[in-house]
Amino acid sequence: MKIRLDRDRCIGASLCLLAAPEVFDQDDEGVVLLRDEDPAEELRVPVLDAVQRCPASVITVVQNDAAG
Amino acid sequence: MALPTMPHAGSDLPDLPLPREHECPFGPPAEYAQLRQEAPVVRVRCPTGLVAWLVTRYADARAVLGDPRRFRTRPGQAGHILAHMRPDLPVGEGEFSRMDGPDHLRFRRHMAPEISALRRVDQLRPLVRRIVDERIDHLAGLTPPVDLHTTFSRPITTSVIAELLGVPQTERVLFQQAADALFDAGMSKDGLDQTLMPLMEYLHGLVARRRQNPGDDTLSSLVTRNDDAGSGFTDQELVTMAAAMLIAGYDTTASMLTYGTLLLLEHPDELDRLRRDPGLAATASEEMVRYLGVGTGLLREVAEDTEIGGQAVAAGDFVVVAIQSANRDPELVDHADLLDVGRKAPAHLGFGHGPHQCLGQQLARLELTTVLSTLPGRIPTLRLATPLAAVEFKTNTVILGPSRLPVSWDAVLPADRTDVPR
Repeated sequence: MKIRLDRDRCIGASLCLLAAPEVFDQDDEGVVLLRDEDPAEELRVPVLDAVQRCPASVITVVQNDAAG
Repeated sequence: MALPTMPHAGSDLPDLPLPREHECPFGPPAEYAQLRQEAPVVRVRCPTGLVAWLVTRYADARAVLGDPRRFRTRPGQAGHILAHMRPDLPVGEGEFSRMDGPDHLRFRRHMAPEISALRRVDQLRPLVRRIVDERIDHLAGLTPPVDLHTTFSRPITTSVIAELLGVPQTERVLFQQAADALFDAGMSKDGLDQTLMPLMEYLHGLVARRRQNPGDDTLSSLVTRNDDAGSGFTDQELVTMAAAMLIAGYDTTASMLTYGTLLLLEHPDELDRLRRDPGLAATASEEMVRYLGVGTGLLREVAEDTEIGGQAVAAGDFVVVAIQSANRDPELVDHADLLDVGRKAPAHLGFGHGPHQCLGQQLARLELTTVLSTLPGRIPTLRLATPLAAVEFKTNTVILGPSRLPVSWDAVLPADRTDVPR
């Protein structure tokens, strides 16, 4: 699944790293980084958990025709 | 309180329901369940005289806090309770808790690496563990009963935040007094400014000294990163960031430690689960924050005509987000009124939501988890030294919890110095 980040909104709360450490990291400023722009389907649950927990609406899972 | 109906002109509005004596001290007043079901967005009168839309459901509370464009923090997040937080006051230099958008974000970005980035939190783990171990060792030398709030909770959070910011022991009373004044609903604006002045003066001096001679503390880092990167923060803004961390870091977490300990003492089965398995400390901390967090709610101001949960609201209207009620909403989690230290944490609102979500949440989690993984095992016979009905709770404040918590024990066991579970 494709993930898009709106990094300008990130406040460095680190909740995405805790929810899905395989997918999300952070730079020296605490701002979110993607470890993997296109993580495997098996990671959908933790990724959606990270989306919900992010306080600043930074993370979007991009819908596409194949994956839905 | 009778369930409020929509008022017509001239009628009195119902009062904002707040915790009352002789009721369960661990949750929102009983009428919130009915409000969630029958009047989820309803006008109430707040203690400071403001009229506000009271929002009690999880989904609506989350929507309000998550959208600072439509619901802004300009009036001050506790202006419904604290008399000194008048919504008409101009936003002060560095008063980031009342800013939104890019103005606010630059402050959060400057502080995040110091206090909420995970690398930083991991670095702080040994310090917090040492402070907690030493404080429990200190209790071992006292004769019970003692007040847990002043002998345990406050010293721990004071030491952690003061060491983090590089404030020496002798000056800590400055921010303790500032916290007491800031969170006092009866304090006047002039009284608050007078109490804050010595702290602010001290911090201005400390900023200048750290600029000359930086250490490896957070205040030095805030100053040198600003100067090196040309971030453009004034000294007043740097001082306000430091003061905010000291004040919030001290009192909010101390109150949660005391309040949470009382909660567990009154739920002995859950305390026992935690004692037998210290690995539950992280989920127990999260459940404690869900159960007890932000009992007096958060204030916002509507920025443009819009709606909340289908209820039309107008620009200029105030909104009180009832955090505790939202955290007990069955839509959030099953058995929401049950305390379960092993509960897989839902995305609760105990640390807030949106860009203003608690700056210190990861540090708070670290302190709570460290205490909950060690205190039950080291003082297994910890108990209240007074009946629950006699415990005094803070009144006229926004940081709820016991003002004193008399506790006793038979013995304090030595620390095993093993790692704190995440």
